[in-house]
Amino acid sequence: MLLVPCPHCGPRNASDLAYVGEARRRPDPAATSPSQWREYLYLRSNPAGLLRETWYCRAGCGRYFVVERDTVSNTFSAPPVPGRKTGRGA
Amino acid sequence: MPSVSRASGAASTRGRRRDRPTRYSAAGLLRRGLTEQPWPRVWRARELKPTYDVVIVGGGVHGLATAYYLATEHGITDVAVLDKGYLGGGGSGRNTAIVRSNYLTPEGVAFYDRSLSLYRSMAVDLNLNVMFSERGHMTLAHNDAALRTMRWRAEVNTLAGVDSRVIDPAECKRLAPSLDTSSDPRYPVLGALYHPPGGTIRHDAVVWGYARAADHAGVELHQDTEVVDVVVEGGELADGKGPGGRVTGVRTSRGEVSAPVVVNCTAGWASVVSSLAGVALPISTRPLQAAVTEPVKVFLPTVVVSGSLHVYVSQTDRGELVFGASVDPFNTYDTRGSLAFTEELAAHVLELMPGISKLRLLRQWAGLCDMTPDYSPVMGFTPVAGFLCDVGWGTYGFKAGPVSGEQMAMAIATGRTPALIEPFRLSRFVEGCLVGEKGAAAVGH
Amino acid sequence: MSLPSRLPPQPTEVIDRSRVLEFSWNGRPLTGFDGDTIASALAASGKGIVSRSMKYHRPRGLLTADYWDPNALVQVGDEPNVRAAHRRLEAGMRVSAQNAWPSLERDVRAANGLVQRFLTAGFYYKTFIRPRRLWPAYEKVLATFAPGGRVDLQTPHGRHDKRYAHPDVVVAGGGPAGLVAATHAARAGARVMLAEHEYRLGGHLLWGEAQDVALAVRLADEAARAGVELLTDSTVTGRYEDNWVAIAQRSHPGVAERLIKARAKMLVVAPGLVERPYVFAGNDRPGVMTSGAVRRLVRMYAVKPGERAVVLTANPDGDAAVAALRAAGVEIVAVVDARAGEGIVAAHGTARRVEAVELEDGRTLPCDLLVTAVGWTAPTSLLNMAGDRPDFDPTSARFFGSDALEHVLATGGLAGDGDSDGHSLLDHAAQTGRLAAARAAVVAHRLQARTAHAAAVDGEEPPWPADTRSALPREPHPGLFRARTHGIVDYSEDVSSKDLVAAAAEGYDHIELLKRYTTATMGPSQGKLETVNTVAVLAELRGQSIGEVGTTVWRPPYAPVSLGALAGRIFEPKRVSPIQPWHEAHGAHPIVAGQWIRPEHYGDPAAEVVRTRTGVGITDVTPLGKLDLQGPDVPLLLSHLYTGRWMKLPVGSVRYGVMCGEDGVVLDDGVTGRLGEEHYLMSTTSSGARTVLEWAESWLQTEHPQWRVHLTPVTDAFTSINVAGPHSRTLLARLTDDIDLDPESFGFMRVRRGAIAGSPDCVVWRIGFTGELSFEVHVPSGYGLHVWQALLEAGGDLGVAPFGLEAQRIMRLEKGHFIVGQDTDGLTQAPTTGLGRLIALDKPDFAGKPELAWALQQPQAPHLVALQPVDPRVVPDEACQIVRAGTDEILGRITSSRMSPTLGRGICLGQVAAEVAHPGAEVTVRLTNGERVLARVLEEHAHFDPEGARLRG
Repeated sequence: MLLVPCPHCGPRNASDLAYVGEARRRPDPAATSPSQWREYLYLRSNPAGLLRETWYCRAGCGRYFVVERDTVSNTFSAPPVPGRKTGRGA
Repeated sequence: MPSVSRASGAASTRGRRRDRPTRYSAAGLLRRGLTEQPWPRVWRARELKPTYDVVIVGGGVHGLATAYYLATEHGITDVAVLDKGYLGGGGSGRNTAIVRSNYLTPEGVAFYDRSLSLYRSMAVDLNLNVMFSERGHMTLAHNDAALRTMRWRAEVNTLAGVDSRVIDPAECKRLAPSLDTSSDPRYPVLGALYHPPGGTIRHDAVVWGYARAADHAGVELHQDTEVVDVVVEGGELADGKGPGGRVTGVRTSRGEVSAPVVVNCTAGWASVVSSLAGVALPISTRPLQAAVTEPVKVFLPTVVVSGSLHVYVSQTDRGELVFGASVDPFNTYDTRGSLAFTEELAAHVLELMPGISKLRLLRQWAGLCDMTPDYSPVMGFTPVAGFLCDVGWGTYGFKAGPVSGEQMAMAIATGRTPALIEPFRLSRFVEGCLVGEKGAAAVGH
Repeated sequence: MSLPSRLPPQPTEVIDRSRVLEFSWNGRPLTGFDGDTIASALAASGKGIVSRSMKYHRPRGLLTADYWDPNALVQVGDEPNVRAAHRRLEAGMRVSAQNAWPSLERDVRAANGLVQRFLTAGFYYKTFIRPRRLWPAYEKVLATFAPGGRVDLQTPHGRHDKRYAHPDVVVAGGGPAGLVAATHAARAGARVMLAEHEYRLGGHLLWGEAQDVALAVRLADEAARAGVELLTDSTVTGRYEDNWVAIAQRSHPGVAERLIKARAKMLVVAPGLVERPYVFAGNDRPGVMTSGAVRRLVRMYAVKPGERAVVLTANPDGDAAVAALRAAGVEIVAVVDARAGEGIVAAHGTARRVEAVELEDGRTLPCDLLVTAVGWTAPTSLLNMAGDRPDFDPTSARFFGSDALEHVLATGGLAGDGDSDGHSLLDHAAQTGRLAAARAAVVAHRLQARTAHAAAVDGEEPPWPADTRSALPREPHPGLFRARTHGIVDYSEDVSSKDLVAAAAEGYDHIELLKRYTTATMGPSQGKLETVNTVAVLAELRGQSIGEVGTTVWRPPYAPVSLGALAGRIFEPKRVSPIQPWHEAHGAHPIVAGQWIRPEHYGDPAAEVVRTRTGVGITDVTPLGKLDLQGPDVPLLLSHLYTGRWMKLPVGSVRYGVMCGEDGVVLDDGVTGRLGEEHYLMSTTSSGARTVLEWAESWLQTEHPQWRVHLTPVTDAFTSINVAGPHSRTLLARLTDDIDLDPESFGFMRVRRGAIAGSPDCVVWRIGFTGELSFEVHVPSGYGLHVWQALLEAGGDLGVAPFGLEAQRIMRLEKGHFIVGQDTDGLTQAPTTGLGRLIALDKPDFAGKPELAWALQQPQAPHLVALQPVDPRVVPDEACQIVRAGTDEILGRITSSRMSPTLGRGICLGQVAAEVAHPGAEVTVRLTNGERVLARVLEEHAHFDPEGARLRG
């Protein structure tokens, strides 16, 4: 059971959180073509290695946060600083 | 992109079809049992050549079937299948070996039914017993929405000529007496989609069958050969890769190979390999876990699936129960498996079959599934000329092995996307034309 | 051999001869003593054959006489695959062999042995290919060879709660190394939990001499006094991510097996060593067993394993077996010492027993017991599960842990050998325990420090304790895997070394391919006895070392765990409204709707529809998702989530909205009302409640953290009752003084607050899912049942009656209101639902805007339309397909369908291809019985009162 480092609740069982997915910058919808928008919607980098991703602390503080994890070893790097807002665009 | 021409060079072996592999048969067993004469090698170990007409990355069912059809249907035999481990060591060796064609969309049904009919004749076609057991496939519905979706599938299947019907709980019980079809469970069974042509197969044998047949048709199979780079020129990305480029070969752990056609048939590594060519995919890789119990006397004659409870179960001829569930909830390339999977699985299986609580789990494992937004694969050409994909197979890749090989071989040989796989083109995502199987995702598919 | 074989009392026996236990074996009565295992009782009764092998049905006797004995799986009552050499005998047990018919003595399938040469491993891949139609018959034949026991489908499911434990250190293994490590960890201040597979602590000491057993007792006692939690007959079955450790505990009183889940800060792995069988011709004959088997039978259970023995020994365990046999009065015919270069070639005899052993030096010696002591396999799977890659040391002929892991430490046999007194082994174990405790303390510190309250944690993090343990010596040991003849490698799968050689020569020469093709190592002993020998055979064939060939991947569980223990008690909450007791008492027919149990109807849903449309009806809609939104920027959020306009919703007004995902697909719908300046109440679908909350939160937290909005889920805080029908206003007015229900004051799509039937803080809005004049009342939950009953009492003269979910569905269908997830699916974008007018593309940005804009430009997708079968009596099943006339080409499907009591005809909603989605079009519906009927597309979605006059009254 992976321990996910919630910045507020500390390391918690992964089953207490919901995985949102790769953290990506949302483009300005007014300034993108259909293909660019759909690239944002659908294409993923899906690396075998470090991935910046968003988790949601569903059973705990209810915060969305971004962390970096190695998808092969499942180790989290540089746990987020508690209290700092970490949004999708961060 | 130019198709691989049959008349291309001396390396092509068009027309020089080797003899069929030494026949497997009961008579053969008898003869060799008496004479102690060994059987010939199922496939040969080879030296890697510097060039091929076609390089297929990934030695699972898809890659091997593609090679087989290239050689036997199109006379293209200067083909190398490269796998970083042993043949069938990826998804092909880790799935729960269920085959069926009771899909939701007419396109899906046509596609998977073609695959099922190829599986049906495979033992004879490949002369290796793949132990295809047509034992029926039951998908249980535990709520109205699921029952409605079962009916949707049944109706689409029937119109396409595939045997599929909705049955009531009493009939479910008759087909699988170990099921609890009473109103006691938390989510009682309301009915099921019953698909008699569905069943199970020996997944490793399918790999060996295609490998043996492809090898004897002249294809080279290379194990322990990892592709570490895809060589692309003229593309719009910084290193010359990416859209607009053309593939010229691959770099492997055993040397460099040049080839005008490179096909990505990896599962679990699709994004990694495609990114080597500069091709972006709509894939997230998630483990799919499975487990098996100790053998017991056979009591479950059919395959049972429950969408609501996220579990499926079948029993092998050796007596082991084989279980599967849904993909893990987050991206990872680690296949070690989790305890939570076995706990949830056991809880749900015992809801379905409360009498088997003393049966013991013997082994658990996982394979990697490449999930796409519309529960359908990515097949065919990419923005890099000569670089094709047969990826994004999620949790349903094994079922589609034979037909995918057939269709990809056609695409490679003709240079055009066959109609059957047109809906699965990579460009559909930026076109906004996602496949209909996603339609049911919101309604408990 | 059927003579009783119980020895006179032995100094270290574990049986209690004063307590005789009666049991049956294959239907015949036998006895044993308390303390016996099933296997030792059988052996004491002279039963030399305990099973038949899987494929060839050869008779098998005890091989290792421990948990891993592949020959000792028996059926006990309704429990299959019981490990007879581990399970303690209990009075009344009905024990039977699993794989023999008609009896263990005379098994007809032993005839397979005659055709053994044709039935080599994997033979079935080469045959049964033609004719195809006979494959089901072949399959039935193959299935009769399924080797396991029998499942009794009537077995009751014992539901046992799992336990969560929070130890600092978990020790896997209660032999001397494990006990010492645990003791020292506990003395160093750690909370320690130890799991030992067997019933008694002490490991290999228990089948030693008297002083060994005494040491075992002393070490166990010290561990207990140090405060270690000692679990016997319990196994650490897996080490998962971040030291999430699973323990299958079989010693909890009254519970066959339950799961303990522990987040261990440190894991110590000390499982000891598993003795390996030797591969040679005849090695599966009854009477061939390992040195450990012999010592256990003699010393612990006072069983004489034979009369005349030949012992092949390569280590002190073999020598100790010779001593034990002599003490039991067994004649030692020969001691074959592999350390002196001696060896054996084959075991000869009958099917029932070994009768002679052929030695390397050419002699053939008569015997009825052949004992082998050729070395051990290190069960490294827990280390492997932690990501370790153990090394094979050819000098010692076994694998050792690599010491590379930080949070998992190995000691005992996995780490090395002791000197002859075992001192250095126990020293290493003690150092391991102390190191584990020290590291656990640092882990504890780290876990606390990683929260937002880091400042509250005292002091700096201590440095990570280095591993300064002195390495254990590794005794050289001959590499003995296979004699120069071929024998059985995997006893439970009946795979011989000859099978392995043939398979590898045929091309299955990768260890994984070899395993899959022959099924070697895939049986119930999970490879513990088979893997190294399999690897050795392959290594020999390939001219490589065992280390180069490697092993197959070790997978959890370490030992098999029952499904019942893994399942535990299943927690699936049932959510019900506070009005549920009333529903149950009044004949409500329940329906499962997600996690909720709701009333589907009260006996006659059609009558409920009629009563509501002509009088007044009330329905319980508590599962409706509800969100409370407060703050100055709520309109910005609503504008972003919904497709329509929300910036200027007046206080006291309610609006309907549709939410889409960023791909334009309909996500949810509902109404939102403005209760005050900065206070709104949103309703969502019941199944969408959580999704919408999380969706809204994600926008607020990630893209628009500057918006000042607070969200609170209030689905359960309110009981929601919909009062509908021409008399609904009259009825409600009787129960409230606060709220003016007059049509001028309280118009359609307005919201008011006040007291209903004395319950304060109710929210009432006037909406119309059913198409009737209706008021949806949200009552603080505690008063829900009271208000429901008040409505019923107050409305007797108006004919008030409850209506259920089915009546709701009929009425909403009559009005053409779609249900998200039923009439729409995962591809339905909003414009096709006919609600284009609700999409405000001039808003700067909202969820789904780009896709919706493009979708409106290409009207090719299927559309949602209302349909009526031309024959009014026809009610198609939902999901019936709509086809092009005269063909099987699918153009769409019926998504909702009912017989309308109001209109007296069938009515439907459906998704149809754009080409037929225009009013008046006739489409062909294929009914489930194959019949095809015509249906007509309506102008509006509503079948009834399309202008909504009844709503707005």
